[in-house]
Amino acid sequence: MLNAPPFPTENLMLRCRSIIWRSGALAAALGLPIASADDTPRDPWSRVAAILSERCLECHASLNPSGGLDLSNRDGWERGGDSGPAIIPSDIDSSFLLQRVEAGEMPPEKNGQLQKLPDDEIDRLREWIRSGAYWPLHQQLDPFEISSSKRGGRDWWSLQPIDPPAVPSKATAIDDLLQSSRASFGLSLAPPAPPRQIIRRLYFDLIGLPPSPEQVELFVQNPTLEEYEKIVDQLLDSRHFAERWARYWFDVARFAETNGYERDAVKSHAWKYRDWVIDAIHDDLPFDQFVTHQLAGDEIVERNEHSVIATGFLRLGTWDDEPNDPAEYVYERLEDLVHVTSTAFLGMTVKCARCHDHKFDPISQMDYYRMAACFWPGPVEARQREWNGGPTSEELGFDVLGWTDIQREPPPLFVLIKGDVHRPSAVAKPGSLSFLPETYRDFRDADSEAKTTLRRLQLAEWIVDSKNPLTPRVIVNRLWQHHFGEGLIRTSDNFGFNGDRPIHQSLLDWLAAELHRQQWRLKPIHKLMVMSETYRQSSTHPNFDDQYAGDPSNRYLWHAQRRRLDAESLRDAILSTSGLLDLRVGGPSFRPAISEEALEGLSMKGNAYQPSSEEECRRRSIYIFAKRALTVPFMATFDVCDSAIPTGRREVTTVAPQALSMLNNSWVVQQSQQFAKRVCDGALQDEGRVRLAWRLALNRDPRKSEMQAALNHVQSIQDSDRSEPSELRAWASLCHVLLNTNEFIYVD
Amino acid sequence: MSTERGTTSKNFPCGLVRRQYLWQLGAGFAGLALTALLEGSGFFDRIGFSNEGSTSPLAPKSPHFRCRAKSCIFLLMNGGPSQVDTFDPKPELEKHAGMAMPADKKYINSGGRAVGYLTPGVRPFRPGGESGIPISDFFPHIREHADKLAVIRSCYTDTHAHGSALIQMNTGKPLMGRPSLGSWVTFGLGSENQNLPGYVVMLDRRGGPISGQPNWSSGFIPAAYQGTLFRSVGNPILDLQVPSTFGSETQRDQLQLLSHLNAEHLEERSGTDELLARIASYDLAYRMQSEAPEAVDLTQESQATLDAYGIEREPTAEFGRNCLIARRLVERGVRFVQLYSGGGHLEETWDAHESVEKNHSRHASEVDQPIATLLSDLEQRGLLDSTLVIWGGEFGRMPFSEGVNKPGRNHNPYGFSMWLAGGGVRGGTVFGATDELGFAAVENPVHVHDLHATILHLMGLDHTRLTYFHQGRDERLTDVYGNVCHDLIS
Repeated sequence: MLNAPPFPTENLMLRCRSIIWRSGALAAALGLPIASADDTPRDPWSRVAAILSERCLECHASLNPSGGLDLSNRDGWERGGDSGPAIIPSDIDSSFLLQRVEAGEMPPEKNGQLQKLPDDEIDRLREWIRSGAYWPLHQQLDPFEISSSKRGGRDWWSLQPIDPPAVPSKATAIDDLLQSSRASFGLSLAPPAPPRQIIRRLYFDLIGLPPSPEQVELFVQNPTLEEYEKIVDQLLDSRHFAERWARYWFDVARFAETNGYERDAVKSHAWKYRDWVIDAIHDDLPFDQFVTHQLAGDEIVERNEHSVIATGFLRLGTWDDEPNDPAEYVYERLEDLVHVTSTAFLGMTVKCARCHDHKFDPISQMDYYRMAACFWPGPVEARQREWNGGPTSEELGFDVLGWTDIQREPPPLFVLIKGDVHRPSAVAKPGSLSFLPETYRDFRDADSEAKTTLRRLQLAEWIVDSKNPLTPRVIVNRLWQHHFGEGLIRTSDNFGFNGDRPIHQSLLDWLAAELHRQQWRLKPIHKLMVMSETYRQSSTHPNFDDQYAGDPSNRYLWHAQRRRLDAESLRDAILSTSGLLDLRVGGPSFRPAISEEALEGLSMKGNAYQPSSEEECRRRSIYIFAKRALTVPFMATFDVCDSAIPTGRREVTTVAPQALSMLNNSWVVQQSQQFAKRVCDGALQDEGRVRLAWRLALNRDPRKSEMQAALNHVQSIQDSDRSEPSELRAWASLCHVLLNTNEFIYVD
Repeated sequence: MSTERGTTSKNFPCGLVRRQYLWQLGAGFAGLALTALLEGSGFFDRIGFSNEGSTSPLAPKSPHFRCRAKSCIFLLMNGGPSQVDTFDPKPELEKHAGMAMPADKKYINSGGRAVGYLTPGVRPFRPGGESGIPISDFFPHIREHADKLAVIRSCYTDTHAHGSALIQMNTGKPLMGRPSLGSWVTFGLGSENQNLPGYVVMLDRRGGPISGQPNWSSGFIPAAYQGTLFRSVGNPILDLQVPSTFGSETQRDQLQLLSHLNAEHLEERSGTDELLARIASYDLAYRMQSEAPEAVDLTQESQATLDAYGIEREPTAEFGRNCLIARRLVERGVRFVQLYSGGGHLEETWDAHESVEKNHSRHASEVDQPIATLLSDLEQRGLLDSTLVIWGGEFGRMPFSEGVNKPGRNHNPYGFSMWLAGGGVRGGTVFGATDELGFAAVENPVHVHDLHATILHLMGLDHTRLTYFHQGRDERLTDVYGNVCHDLIS
């Protein structure tokens, strides 16, 4: 048995707890001299401050404190709230706070559970009040300052500067950094994946398509690292790489081509945004520009049609053309924009601070509105329905799906108490978020000659600021997740308190710093990842059971993660195997044929859905028309995600309807027949046909036993079938089985 | 410590995957060496009977507390039936007939339609059962079961448009992207029969509901919990029929070969749980192929039953058939069944803009007898106590007409009626009230969140504890809202 690696979460929790209870640490965080002895008045106070911060300030602080009581400063508790003063120095009997706390009424119960404070904490509060309730002059407690066991503060790991370790060699950095942690838990790397395994993995990973039999054989004859690297370079240069990796971005960008809701109207030109992303990835547009164009392609100096198309990012969300209360719906739209922006680029759940300060991360309600204010001058209010919630082409300057400000001097955006439209409070200035104090700034007003407010441009500049540690960490982690199956941070959309904790932070930071060094170009990062030994290891480990006992979830990457093809790759792989795949790039989307039964879910029957021509339907899945009211059933069955919200990581489920669709779906059967034709045309002898079928579907030759079983299968079907051309039918049956095998659908 | 979705357990090799097996011991194409393969691999020892019991996403799970309801049938009257014409009699409307809506009653006039005059209910109400609950002549058959019903007259929702209101009735919020009620219930309880989908949706042949698929979506919880569309004739689910190119016998041969190839593939690999899970899913699919058509095969039902549901005549044929299938599904352990009455748009649904008399006559006559029969059939089979039946639309309708010669009514989210029956519901109850005109809920108002909280409670689930961690937050069907209406529960 190996030593189990420490459970990272618990470790960090312990660390947080010890920080908060070491009064000196809190004092230091508050910028105070650290108390040296217990008998200074500061020390009991700082311990009380810790209790208040952890237990009370979630509700009793900030803009609109609960019950009107603000416990973050002396004025607040002296004045008290709706029930009068909370603390009366030296008078424990009249201090209302103490009564509520002693009675266990505060903190309030949660999910039916009392939250009464431990006795020692109550004792501290009591002693502190009895001895005069010392409070340093003008001292303001800040609940977001430091992390506690209940929430993250501005000292949260992901908000700290990127701190890359020194590495001896860039080429081996990934492996070196992982190897040291692996070794300390007695884990060892799996052997290198056999050539056929690694080549199949690399193709699916980089371009989402299987290699051809010729490409496999070429590599198998000369399976050197140099040859491998050559293939990596070729694939990274291929447009199919961009098609494959754009799909991941579309999940995050909640890409769809209709609005959803009653009319589910088409968002014209959404496909141009799709092509823009593919082009950007193909050209390796530096990621800082990738961000900037999508948020503010209409505001940049080099503004052109392409950069305006990129702002389609802000138009992809659901849009209800008939909301109940248009005035309220404006705020739903702002939430969509804040959510997609903060999730996609920052990996933070800023939207949770819409109605109140964030419960877990140092994001105030004001922060939420500061970001929302960047979108406020845009067309968020209800206008003519046919404009689909966006600017007109006149306002935009191009006939594309895009975004721009429609007001140069927008009215103030008010913070809404509890998100209630009828309870406006402070005015929010557009600006950066407070969790990065060093870069905290209000965004300046644009010069008078500017056409727009330049708020989004400044937001983008802040997101890609070299001092913003989240952006590079989040994107390199997304790349890692898709190459390796899981991110270094497994919650790729959430780097906050409720997210995964870093056990490979040095590696994450090294990669993030490398991205900076590469001037934000992602292809070199992709290359580093797929060139690593860790990537090239086998999915099978000789000591699997032992190692599994030590690290069952493979957090230390001691074997390659076997992965099921996602819906798009599966469909594309079937088409590729059958030989029908049409690799045309770009242009308007196509509508695959959908059975009548599946169309019953549409409220507009008959005229609503017109499939594209058969030729069009052979194109790659990235070009499927993304209709919100109707996901293509085959794709939905294989876990395509909901496009209403950003999704960085799809669920993978294994359920019977998947087996049904692979066995019975008429499209799969047609492809099997096509595959059989290809096999029968490609070889005359039965054995040759079996070999070709195996090479096309599985990139290898059949073993003897498999050859025999396949020949028997074909023979038995031909024997049992006295009717018409039974030969093709028998081969189609065999080909259909191959498409159903685990080996076809799981990539080692 | 909870984490982001998909990685709720750090102890498993690939997030949720390891826990998401669909497995079942027993028949199927077990004869084809499948079960032996799984047993030989130790699959069941490691996975099937872990300390959590089964690990299939749809395996039955214990409710939060003891309850009577095991299954739920939601009869969704798509389009929004009029409360003052069905379950909420308003004599005051007679007095004010022909007058304008009082100015102090504020509302959004959905779609900017013509605003006519206060119009009394078009059909007389009569008391039903011992409880004497008044029900209009649109539903003479359901009225006979008045003592089984808990009528809520004070429902309200947040939106006046079909698209968003349907989404809200199904998912709790008028915004797309959230899991539907049936998804939450199957997520919380699994399903009793692994050979059928756990969450079945049957649409009206005239079309799907407005907004389509998001109405039965699983939103951000795994796709295994999404509703499965079920048709009432032929092959009830997609891709169920063995392709004619091959036929059943060839398919058996195919599965045999597939088992062989998959077995060799397994031998060379380590850490194969997800591969075994996929093998098991084929076993299940194979059994679904025979069991699902059986569920819609009504030849086993007596003529008396077919007659009672009105299956062989119009206008009850379609909905009657769906109701009978719903009973058969519930009998077979399906957890959640939703039936739509009305499909597509406008008069094809309960959306009575033109004439309440005309529209509701048509739709009520389609569903009245089938629903009444469903209630008595469930009762006779001893299933009513374990089956929660829900009836209602996405909103109600206005007390005023759409014009002098247009006796239809516009959408009304401010007050409408729904009813519950069976499954621990206190029958013979009327709960809540609208104002004197039947316009807005004023007494014991029941928001959609409250309705959902109550439904979950009746199914043994605490709506505050049924959570799914998603993007930094424990999400619930009822968000941060919802109160259980204990008065409705026996």
